[in-house]
Amino acid sequence: MTPANFDGLMPIVILMGIAVALFWGGHFVSVILAPKKPSHLKSTPYECGEQPVGSAWSMFNVRFYVVGLIFIIFDVESVLMFPVAAIFRELNDMGHGGYALIIFLSFISVLIEGIAYCWSKGDLDWVKSYQVSLKNNK
Amino acid sequence: MFLQILFALSALLTVGGAICVLLTKNLMHSCIFLLASLIGIAGLYATLGADFVAVAQIMIYVGGVVILMLFAVMLTGGKDFVSRAQNLLGLAPTMGNMWTYGAGLLVGLVFLLTNFKLLSSVLNSHPTRTFTNEFPSTVNRLGHLLVKDHVLAFEISSVLLLGALVGAAIIARPRKQ
Amino acid sequence: MNQTIVSYLAQYEFFDHIAALFKGNESLLAFLVFLLVALIIVGLCATIGGLGTYAERKISADIQQRLGPNRVGPYGILQFLADGVKMMTKEDIMPFTADKMLFYLAPMLALVGVFATLAVLPFSSGFMMTNLNVGVFYLIAISSLVGLAVFLGGYASNSKWSMLGGMRGASQIISYEIPVTISILAITVLAGGMSFGTIVGMQKGLPINWFIFHNPFAFLAFFVFFTGALAETNRAPFDLPEAESELVSGYHTEYTGMRFGFFALAEYIEVFVVCGVAAALFLGGSNLPFTLEMDNIPLQLVEFSIFMSKTLLLYYVVIWIRWTFPRLRVDQLMSICWKYLTPIAIFNLMGCAIWLVVFNGKSMAELMFGGH
Repeated sequence: MTPANFDGLMPIVILMGIAVALFWGGHFVSVILAPKKPSHLKSTPYECGEQPVGSAWSMFNVRFYVVGLIFIIFDVESVLMFPVAAIFRELNDMGHGGYALIIFLSFISVLIEGIAYCWSKGDLDWVKSYQVSLKNNK
Repeated sequence: MFLQILFALSALLTVGGAICVLLTKNLMHSCIFLLASLIGIAGLYATLGADFVAVAQIMIYVGGVVILMLFAVMLTGGKDFVSRAQNLLGLAPTMGNMWTYGAGLLVGLVFLLTNFKLLSSVLNSHPTRTFTNEFPSTVNRLGHLLVKDHVLAFEISSVLLLGALVGAAIIARPRKQ
Repeated sequence: MNQTIVSYLAQYEFFDHIAALFKGNESLLAFLVFLLVALIIVGLCATIGGLGTYAERKISADIQQRLGPNRVGPYGILQFLADGVKMMTKEDIMPFTADKMLFYLAPMLALVGVFATLAVLPFSSGFMMTNLNVGVFYLIAISSLVGLAVFLGGYASNSKWSMLGGMRGASQIISYEIPVTISILAITVLAGGMSFGTIVGMQKGLPINWFIFHNPFAFLAFFVFFTGALAETNRAPFDLPEAESELVSGYHTEYTGMRFGFFALAEYIEVFVVCGVAAALFLGGSNLPFTLEMDNIPLQLVEFSIFMSKTLLLYYVVIWIRWTFPRLRVDQLMSICWKYLTPIAIFNLMGCAIWLVVFNGKSMAELMFGGH
């Protein structure tokens, strides 16, 4: 790669810099313009007028974690598929279309197997996941 | 010039984030510093001309792994995530027994030697940054390698991921006592 | 090689004079050009985001047979400026239980994630900041920062509403990223590349050459993509993270003043970006349906206005959907993503790949009418 190619990355850094600058600029302006009359009641977490009981940082359901796990696996699969997808047309033009198709489809079919398994075992259900998996895990 | 600035920024983010991960006592904050470190690593990949790997790093680590870590932290709940340990040294004896320390030492030793080996091979060779212009971009290069030379690895990785998916689903499933 | 706006401008003569001033310091010149263009694009998108809030209220008023904002400026069009001034002068309140650092970081991350996507948005064939080889992939990856920002915003507030909204938001955004990514993969297969330049360049000519009409699978993929994109930007009917009737305001319940404004701005710009991506990937982007004999600069303007009109049309549809459909439940949301959209998206991907091989890359139109 020549240095000129790296200039293609410059706008990303610049735009990120603009975002950070805009954030702190807006913060600075609001520090100057906004009134400051702090009170204890004002800075309690909003709970429709009730006194908040306890912290909001409590144990969360495991289903969020399961969604995260499944997501990462699909994410990695899509990352692996992207380079092959990008040259798929090129391979087809070179006359290797059938070969590329077999490779690509066999990769995807394993992915489908995974989602079919999770579906049939009820891991994709949001509400019933506990009862269903209890039944299936006997 | 821009390359140097990008490298400096990325290196600062990577090292600074990693140090902050170690120093902070708040679990949530250390996840976020880890995020900074991972973004910095993506920047380092970009300075090496590996644009696809850089973006994949952002996609998997920033978009996936860090969020998963945050979810995992939220699983534990607890009153607060701030560790009450005063100093690391006072806590160290309670963190494991003879076996775990021995295993840790061994792993560290192997890791160190591997790194030295890698470093020496890098230092001894003379890297020439000439890319053959056979492919217009790194993506095409990667794609051709995945389809031709490493097609078995490509297919087996899908099976590996299937295993990971099934394993993740089974582990996260509540079991009957 | 990554084509950028600098390399585009270099073909003009007037640019040579400017370049002569920066002899031996091309990086500085590139930096200045990029900075100028970035400021223009950010200004443009911030205005569109601001007008988006106005359009949202006006269109919703129209749908519900109300008047909507009509006091500030003609037809109330300056309402968004008044809102902006109001936000700046609002007191900055932070819950005393909040996590201070993350409370500041969350809106900043949302802004960074959204602004960084603007770098690859193809406004016209010349007017795009950088034509990265990994364009679409980069866009998906960097916009996942917004999901993180939503989670952190919810977490840092330490309020129950925010926490629920943040958790929901993060899981929703990451879930819907899967069908969106797979739909984009289908387009990548058809276009034979990931850069926006390649993808838009493949769709030249009449609307029949757009990727949405390339084959039936791509047609389906557009709707999968659009639905997923709606969910990723937390727009109704998928606005569960900020469901105002159940979670007060979701992840930004505790945010006031400018920081709330930045969250809102990021959201509206993200909707614009997503509509732009849909227009570029499926609806032909900035391509003219015919060849115009014109100078390059007016041609770029025409292309730019074509891209904008497609994008803003989709923007209108997004607002229209919001005021037409009721909100989903959380379990419905998740089952739509994992049981409908994802399998359909995978099916589309396989269909596109098979179509490409069987018909040797020809689109439906080429098959029906033969050749170009």
